[in-house]
Amino acid sequence: MILAMFRVMALALWRDRGALVMTFLLPPLVFLIFSAVFAGATGEDVKLKLAIADDARTPASRRLADALLRDPDLRAERTVPDAGARVRALVKAGRADAGLIIRADPAASGSPIIVVSDPSRAVAAPLTMARAQQVLARDMPDILLARTLVETAPAVGGFTRRQTAAAAVAMSSLAEGRAVAVGPSLFVREDISGARKGGGAIAYYAGAVSILFALFSAMTGALSLIDERHSGIADRILAGTRGMGPVVTGKFLFLIAQGVVQATAIFATAELIYGVPVLGHIGPWLITTIAASTCSAGLALGIVAFCKTRDQGQMLSTFIILILAAVGGSMVPRFLMPPWLQMAGWATPHAWTIEAYQSILWRDAGLSAVYPAWAVLLAIGLAGLLLAHLATRLVR
Amino acid sequence: MIDRPILNVWGAEHRYGTRKVLRGVDLAVRPGEIYALLGPNGAGKSTLVGAICGRFKLTGGEVALDGLDPFVSPLARARLGLAPQEIALYDHMTVRENLEVFGRLSGVTRRDLGASVERALRLTLTSDREHVLVRHLSGGYRRRVNIAAAILHQPRLLILDEPTVGVDIDAREALDAVIRNLRDTGAAVLIVTHDLDQASVLADRVGFLREGRKILEGAPRALIEQAFGQEMEILVQLENEPDIDGQGILAAERLERREGNFWSRFDTSGYRAAAKLDRRLRSLGMTPREIRVRAPSLQNLFSLVADWRRAA
Repeated sequence: MILAMFRVMALALWRDRGALVMTFLLPPLVFLIFSAVFAGATGEDVKLKLAIADDARTPASRRLADALLRDPDLRAERTVPDAGARVRALVKAGRADAGLIIRADPAASGSPIIVVSDPSRAVAAPLTMARAQQVLARDMPDILLARTLVETAPAVGGFTRRQTAAAAVAMSSLAEGRAVAVGPSLFVREDISGARKGGGAIAYYAGAVSILFALFSAMTGALSLIDERHSGIADRILAGTRGMGPVVTGKFLFLIAQGVVQATAIFATAELIYGVPVLGHIGPWLITTIAASTCSAGLALGIVAFCKTRDQGQMLSTFIILILAAVGGSMVPRFLMPPWLQMAGWATPHAWTIEAYQSILWRDAGLSAVYPAWAVLLAIGLAGLLLAHLATRLVR
Repeated sequence: MIDRPILNVWGAEHRYGTRKVLRGVDLAVRPGEIYALLGPNGAGKSTLVGAICGRFKLTGGEVALDGLDPFVSPLARARLGLAPQEIALYDHMTVRENLEVFGRLSGVTRRDLGASVERALRLTLTSDREHVLVRHLSGGYRRRVNIAAAILHQPRLLILDEPTVGVDIDAREALDAVIRNLRDTGAAVLIVTHDLDQASVLADRVGFLREGRKILEGAPRALIEQAFGQEMEILVQLENEPDIDGQGILAAERLERREGNFWSRFDTSGYRAAAKLDRRLRSLGMTPREIRVRAPSLQNLFSLVADWRRAA
């Protein structure tokens, strides 16, 4: 009986070629788009568009402006006219991510550089400052040394004539590239062990798109419960001996299978195009996928079973899909969210699913790290199934 | 020997909130009998069917299918097949696929499914369309497949809810043949309908529900004869809408308005009375477009009874 309903659902999808294509081809396509769009959001590939004006017009300011313009990690442009007001106008108009105005000689004391930013692109200001610091350290170490001497002189009671002369020689050597007298950088970057460059974001979005579509497709499939109520099919079945139980369970199993096939299409794309190591972790991946699909199927049926009309079901499911996807990190990584929202994310299946996939495919974290996610996802799915059974009994 | 009824309803009462929809209805349907449950919208037919199908417990009275309460007992519901008013089929599937699914859902075993589907196709005269998608069937075929999906488990009581909705005249004859086929298998058939013509052609007995009460029950011909005796209905269609004087003349001739510009009366003299009435109306300047004489129908009986009840 359960298989009979499974067959009904499978034939409905198979004979609607448009729906079939959308169910199994759209998710990998959306995954490719999401990963292309959002993979850069980790900061690795960010190239800021920077407007530069040199109001100081000193040799050092010209050197700094030229060095920034040459920097391959920036898309820097000198404004025309070369003035701070033009930089501010470009940033305000959104034609530059940030602006940099050299208002005084960089070698002099004080704050000779202004970074202009739009609060809606708040991350651009610190990135610009960091890039400018790197450019100064790499291309103008003499200027940094000069600034250091100017700023430390009052604290040490001034320098002797001999010290000043030695500093001048050092600065000259640095300017000509003959010496590296500035000490090592304060920071040394170390990537986590075994990290694969760029793959983290890909594995993240493969999981994010997978759970997003599993829930979306499950909701659409679960709406057939309402159609059956309105077409009299539920009346016919309820007049029989078994009630709607086999119908709900058959749909549940079909929606799980559908979710697994969808996830397979997405992760196969991730492996083929980005080298995400799915086959190397096939066992845990499969369990995570089944758990996520079970969760989606149960949640969808549990929600739709309480809706009276298709319109209600569609509105409610759209609302729930969007909210869960946004809070759970299917759209924007959760580490970029405020702390309270990161906490709230644990109430969504998306966060658990993404975390489980990340643990398996990116961090090689071992099974002990994913058991909690599997338990949560399966529990949500089975609770949803139970609710759906209860709801269909109530309408008897 | 008269068979024991398959379906018994005793003193059915039901209310939704403060609104009483059933007020003590008794009903009995026997094997091999077609019983038509008639009545206007809001009469309580759907509520009564819901209770018979075990969808809810009546607030008063009892329902028994072969002696078992369908609300409580799955065994009782196993004796029941329902063809809902809607086409309750999956339109993306073929006729056979639908029957296989509903066969399984109504408890037919995998082993018996093939034979069960064949039987349903044969009885509903749909074998020639078994591989056609339901969405490609005509209205009449859909109705028959809707019935086929209700008889797969060979129910002892078949409930057909408004089986003729959306069915043309030719398809209706085929549908009537199907229903007779089912009756001939020994099943009890309960038809819930507005269609008094179908009821008078098909039903062994009819029951009229009105405002939650059964106001009349019996064999259609017997009921009509009992109410109208030898009287025939004379139906007059006038050319023009009569003015006040004309309406006075019609009233003097005991003609009552039916629908539109149709007027009628019952008369034991039949055709002779119709000819006399034609001459009389013409002499008074009211030329009839048409005068028909016909035997009284269930519709007439229902109107008559409704008028009596209203008068009472």
